[in-house]
Amino acid sequence: MKLDHSARIDAPVERVWAIVSDVPRAGRLVPGVGPVEPLGADRYRGTLRVQIGPVRLDLAGDIEVTSRDETARTAALRLDAADHRLGGAVRATMRLALTQATPSTTDIRIETDAQVLGRIGELGEPIIRRKADRIVSELIANLAREASS
Amino acid sequence: MIAPFELVRAGSLAEALELLESDPEAHVLAGGTALVLLMKQGLLRPSRLIDIGGLAELRGIRMNGDLRIGALTTHLEAERSALVRRHCPALASCFGTVATVRIRAQGTVGGNLAHADPAQDPPPMLVALGAVAVLESGAGRREVPMEDLFVDVFETSIGPGELLREIVVPPLAEGARATYVKFLPRTEDDYATVSVGAVLRVDAGGRCADVRVALGSVGPTPVRARRVESALRGERVTPARLREAAMLVREEVDPIADARGSAAYKREMAGVWTERALRALLP
Amino acid sequence: MPAERLLSDLLRDDLGLTGTKIGCGVGVCGACTVLVDDVPVTSCLLLAAQAEGRSIRTIEGIADGDRLTALQRAFITEGGFQCGICTPGQIVSATALLERSAHPAEGEIRDWMKGNLCRCTGYYGILRAVRAAAEASA
Repeated sequence: MKLDHSARIDAPVERVWAIVSDVPRAGRLVPGVGPVEPLGADRYRGTLRVQIGPVRLDLAGDIEVTSRDETARTAALRLDAADHRLGGAVRATMRLALTQATPSTTDIRIETDAQVLGRIGELGEPIIRRKADRIVSELIANLAREASS
Repeated sequence: MIAPFELVRAGSLAEALELLESDPEAHVLAGGTALVLLMKQGLLRPSRLIDIGGLAELRGIRMNGDLRIGALTTHLEAERSALVRRHCPALASCFGTVATVRIRAQGTVGGNLAHADPAQDPPPMLVALGAVAVLESGAGRREVPMEDLFVDVFETSIGPGELLREIVVPPLAEGARATYVKFLPRTEDDYATVSVGAVLRVDAGGRCADVRVALGSVGPTPVRARRVESALRGERVTPARLREAAMLVREEVDPIADARGSAAYKREMAGVWTERALRALLP
Repeated sequence: MPAERLLSDLLRDDLGLTGTKIGCGVGVCGACTVLVDDVPVTSCLLLAAQAEGRSIRTIEGIADGDRLTALQRAFITEGGFQCGICTPGQIVSATALLERSAHPAEGEIRDWMKGNLCRCTGYYGILRAVRAAAEASA
């Protein structure tokens, strides 16, 4: 399942980059994320709760920053999380790119490639896609708010 | 295999509300068609179910100016009810389009609304009819206009400790006509690609005195087609005007691509079927 | 009896009434159709506890001993079955229909029976059987 989000944020690119490259800080901007714990060497552990009506997913897993380019302001992440209660997992890679639009605004692009495995898949790709889309959109909105405050 | 759970049978509405209040994680069991399936799929693993199937307070269909349908009324009962058919034949017929006779015999009207699957049939018809949901909790009763009941996919504004008790359907105004159309090009499941519930009243001068349109299956909740309504209200109703107005619905819907159609297809069909529904209501 | 026991499993495994079949397991195919208080329900989506105190009729209870009903005889004469896996559900559903509506119109038969899927017959024999049974009672 591939998602592609782009937005313009009312903040300078350095400020936005400072937030997104701080994984625990960026994690707090994702709805449903619990505390993100550094494991060292660009690896982190975290939780994500997703609710779709009465169905609740409690995902727990690892985040790894697989590449980062400070000059180009791009990064790639790998996420690997499971819900052991329901019996399912989510694996995703995310590619993030920031570019300066104007001195005070930033263009952000987030490309997500996610696989949903196990029971969670019973919800059906369309519903999962809509939820994932919602989560990434909210992340960007929260990021915009944080960066411009 | 369903994970083991405790089944508690509520002997009265008051008892059911107490049980709900004391255990907000408990799920309510009415007909069970949606709930049992979610549990079989392993998506829901409640430790306790509150069986409200025996609550007489939630049964029955009665008239007191408005049509009042108890939440535990099955779709089959609602479809076949002389009271429902007299009050609004389109509503009876809408209940009859739900799934198969078995699901209609087992699934309840209240359970359908509480489940809030965006592709269900009764919600858009009830929104178009201006129906109201009556919710009850230990704190009392409140009424929620049907279109405010649905918040998101599988999510309603029914709060913790609250039960949907009945739905109230006001009568159609003199001269108003209603219809429910369901576009079902695939029969893989019985959910519509797009469905439209509409009410139209044309006055003696051929002008639209009132119109209400709501669509199912093209958004996370039923979509009230306000732009279509504004374009028609007060205007002379001609087939051309209907078509123009109906096409505005394409900007109001937010369909997802799935086995029932691509987003673009559903968007296009929303316009086509809104027009067909309204045309069928012309005097 | 555990709360999570499904009616279909209770009938088949606990009571040995294996006439009721489990097809899709998700309520769509109708192979598990039984009558609860004379209405057809999806026994694979009903907790056995929900049927407590209610009358349950399975395919085994349709015939009167060895005497088949007119509907069952019609299924034989009209070719309403091939492999037979959907047949108990078909007969139970159709029985309920004819009990409610002795002379159902074609549209009514089709709408009532549409929830009972068949992979073999193409449905013509099934519809002929239901029609024939309805006519036989005229």
